[in-house]
Amino acid sequence: MASYDYVEKAVKVSRREFLQVVGVAGAVMWSGAYIATDLIQDRSKYIKMRAQGIYKDDAKAKVRQSHNNQALNEMYSKFAQKPLSPLSEELFHTRYTDRTKLG
Amino acid sequence: MKGYQIQELSKVIQIDRKKCKGCDSCKEFCPTNAIDGKYGTVHSINNDKCVFCGQCLVNCPFAAPTDVIDPVDQVIQKLKNKQITVVAAIAPAVRVAIGEEFGMEPGRLVTEKLYGAMKEAGFKIFDVNFAADHTIMEEGSELLAKIRHYLLGEKVEHHLGVLPQFTSCCPAWVRYVELNYPQIIPNLSSAKSPMMMAGSLAKTYGATDVWHVNPEDMYVVGVMPCTAKKFESSRAEFDSAAEYWKKQGKTASYPDVDTTLTTRDLARLFKKLNINLNTVYDFKDSDNPLAQYSGAGTIFANTGGVMEAALRTAYFIITGSELQTLELTPVRGLKGIKEASVTMKDIKTGKELIVKVAVVYGIKENAVPLIEQVIAGTSPYHFIEVMNCPGGCVNGGGQPIHAMGTSWLDKWKVMLPWN
Repeated sequence: MASYDYVEKAVKVSRREFLQVVGVAGAVMWSGAYIATDLIQDRSKYIKMRAQGIYKDDAKAKVRQSHNNQALNEMYSKFAQKPLSPLSEELFHTRYTDRTKLG
Repeated sequence: MKGYQIQELSKVIQIDRKKCKGCDSCKEFCPTNAIDGKYGTVHSINNDKCVFCGQCLVNCPFAAPTDVIDPVDQVIQKLKNKQITVVAAIAPAVRVAIGEEFGMEPGRLVTEKLYGAMKEAGFKIFDVNFAADHTIMEEGSELLAKIRHYLLGEKVEHHLGVLPQFTSCCPAWVRYVELNYPQIIPNLSSAKSPMMMAGSLAKTYGATDVWHVNPEDMYVVGVMPCTAKKFESSRAEFDSAAEYWKKQGKTASYPDVDTTLTTRDLARLFKKLNINLNTVYDFKDSDNPLAQYSGAGTIFANTGGVMEAALRTAYFIITGSELQTLELTPVRGLKGIKEASVTMKDIKTGKELIVKVAVVYGIKENAVPLIEQVIAGTSPYHFIEVMNCPGGCVNGGGQPIHAMGTSWLDKWKVMLPWN
């Protein structure tokens, strides 16, 4: 009877080699994930940075409410009288068009 | 071509056949499904549906959609003509973005540099931030009249629309309503957008009290972060200044706003005139009443900004005292739908009021559900702010273009190959 002995070829991975392989694999996955998230962040950073610029303009303003804009109040007293006055309605309000009815 | 009035622009954006790769990215950003063409074939824009917001333009990876309305040379001609007073109506969002076209970091606030460059180019300045304050007074008074009538039972002096009131500053949104939901037109605020208010005020009060010129010798240029504003300024009904002067015996006809430049167009105009925003002198224009603005006017450029500005003033008018904290954090930030409610005690009647508001950007995803609520009669809100572009006007279709696109907030799925 022929005996069949299977001896598995020993795969020798030294501790150093194992760390090398895991290190490289980890680096590849890490940078892939970084690139993907960075791409998304990069694509929305413009909105955030511009919005910050606008809020900064508000925060440093001496007057921060529309009804306290002196030049605007002066315009009303010299010219349009008050909001929703007949002249304000004529110049600063509009009408809309039902465009489904336009050919 | 359907859905246009006489003399209106019926085309602002066109897709360049040579550049389009048929990748379908633009379709993801289009609020009205106005882009035709199957995946892989050259796409084209259906102008019966297009609202000219330009989101396809700022997000296409191949720069295929282009803005075909180019008034830069015409404006330079007007600037050279010394008989004409050229007034630039500058929108709030322009001052935090135009620096990008001159190599500055995004979001850099360059108001004084921008004023300086405008002065050097020969423009007179009408800051649309002033007109935004003006809009708050008109649109806010309209809202308060509705609240007093419908909630407190006060009698009305003149015709009022219905609640909830929608904002009407965004021309893409207004055209969308007119095209798709005409039944909610009574809900739109009757107030003009800040740019159009600036136009009619410049050619009346501005002509007589500020610049002392004949209104027919004026040329008003909107400077906007927006491609839809090019359409808005061409709308036939915006000639109120000319109508006003006709009642006083003049005969000339002219539009309130003669033409509109985007932020990109203005940067090109500066470059053609050899004006560099980095080296230009600062200019404050502090003697010009139409360049004075409040912080509320400037935040119009952000999503939630119109609401925040309106509530600061509404609170004061109803209660008689200023808000303690001016920063209304619930309406700030990049969430698609934001809600807030503010409790106010009416100074006239002593009754307590709870004003409920909503803020949305993105018509397709976020505004349509709110419109359906309004039509069904179940809307819990009194005032709803709608801006078409993600993040508001700071990310408008007329702003500087970045190769990666700027509106990918929640659109990351577009990058997946099986989408």
